[in-house]
Amino acid sequence: MAAADSPSAALRRRDLCSRGIRLAGKMRADVVDLLDTYVEQQGLDASATVAAVEGVPLAAVERWDEQTGTQRLLENLAAYRAFRALLAQMLEEQREQLGEADAGLGRALAAVLLQVSAFAYHLEELLRLESRGIPGEEEDGPPPPPRLSLFEQKLRGLGVLRELAQWALRSARDLRQLAKPSPATGTAPGLAESP
Amino acid sequence: DSPTQYERVGADVTMKCGSMDWDAAVTWTANGTDIDESHLNGSYLILKNVDLSQSGQYSCYEGSSWHLKYQTYLRVGTPPKEPVLMCRSNNYPKGFYCSWHLPTPTYIPNTFNISVIHGTKDMVCEKDAVPKNRCHIRYLQLFSTVKYKVTLTVTNPLGKNYTTLTFDEFAIVKPDPPESVVAKPVPNNPRRLEVSWQNPSSWPDPESFPLKFFLRYRPLILDQWQHVELSDGTSHTITDAYAGKEYIIQVAAKDNDIGTWSDWSVAVHATPWTEEPKHLTTEAQITETTSASTSSFMAPPTTKICDKGAVVGSGAVAVCWTAGLVVAAYSVLFI
Repeated sequence: MAAADSPSAALRRRDLCSRGIRLAGKMRADVVDLLDTYVEQQGLDASATVAAVEGVPLAAVERWDEQTGTQRLLENLAAYRAFRALLAQMLEEQREQLGEADAGLGRALAAVLLQVSAFAYHLEELLRLESRGIPGEEEDGPPPPPRLSLFEQKLRGLGVLRELAQWALRSARDLRQLAKPSPATGTAPGLAESP
Repeated sequence: DSPTQYERVGADVTMKCGSMDWDAAVTWTANGTDIDESHLNGSYLILKNVDLSQSGQYSCYEGSSWHLKYQTYLRVGTPPKEPVLMCRSNNYPKGFYCSWHLPTPTYIPNTFNISVIHGTKDMVCEKDAVPKNRCHIRYLQLFSTVKYKVTLTVTNPLGKNYTTLTFDEFAIVKPDPPESVVAKPVPNNPRRLEVSWQNPSSWPDPESFPLKFFLRYRPLILDQWQHVELSDGTSHTITDAYAGKEYIIQVAAKDNDIGTWSDWSVAVHATPWTEEPKHLTTEAQITETTSASTSSFMAPPTTKICDKGAVVGSGAVAVCWTAGLVVAAYSVLFI
């Protein structure tokens, strides 16, 4: 494997970041469209405030500009892995509740789930490039959440999609930071530092 | 200093002359001018349906001794209407500012108080020295889905009012317009104009938070704009300009992902390059050969480009003005 700061690695990193930024942009646009569909078909109020739900990774971050590259990658990866599980659960709940009635919504959810999985893989590629160990996913997964009422499921779904839209925005910004060359070494800033 | 008394426009105001009895002989003045007795009820001054012009210093003097018994400064005004509040981030991701004003004046002093809440957290909006009706906040968090709630309360001695704005972090992002917009003709290209600009200087990190741009242009003689959206770069070449027509050009900016478009930049004007008319070249050549004997004029070079192609004349007479050069005078040639 090329050293993390070799020219070929730098090019590969820049390429992965550019593609990642495009992926994040497309993902965000699709999530925003999905949000509109979800709100309408679930009969929700678009302006409803949803309290933070356990297990939904929050995109909000303090001192974002001070994060190292590795922190950015690891936090992004953890988030998208969580979203992968959450969206899979939402999809299953959709199918149980509504069957064919909301096939469109189901397809849109599945498409976003695919993009989330692809983005998580993309982040793993970036971490591999930096010779960083990729944190393993918990084998047993998180404990099954308590059974929610239908309305609670809908609200949680709204919270999941809103946070995912913000994460997609944050990810694009994170990857732009990663793609910036470091003035001293020509490598991306922050990646040489340990978390 | 006399105390100040605030009254609403249209109110009836009764002023008592200090501790003087109702039937005491007194004289009231307004800004030093005696007030007619018709406005008195005993020693009380009655002002009905006051208006703004009646603001001023009112004094009451004992009749015979002319001792000052009471003085007040009357200020006529109105309670505040609901204020107008605006919040915007032109320097994302650093922070945002809020500014406010009253839709109509109250004519008396007002105090503004602003509170900003993000979730359950109170934030401090630091008042700007200039302008006075503005404050700014630094973002402590980015990418939050929790809305900001800003409440502005305005209070004056006659009443109070307030307004509230609730918004997402990304919804209020609106950059300042692009700066240093320049438009130039392209030599030997009669349908092109080269436009360049710079990111607004208030936008702190265009590399991490790139802007996209919207350019609009039209010839002065037409009302309809052409539009071009540009996802990167700070220059563009217009390739479909009408030859010889002066254009007006403006640029706007927006964060690549969030928020709204800036206002349009200052407009710039430019005219595409035009070829120098051939008959002008011929006359210039003739003029050149005779310039030794007629030193009052100087023939322009035949390849000179007219920046602002003001070619006027009729028949065989033509004048071409070139920036920075001495004006050339032409003799009329008869054909």
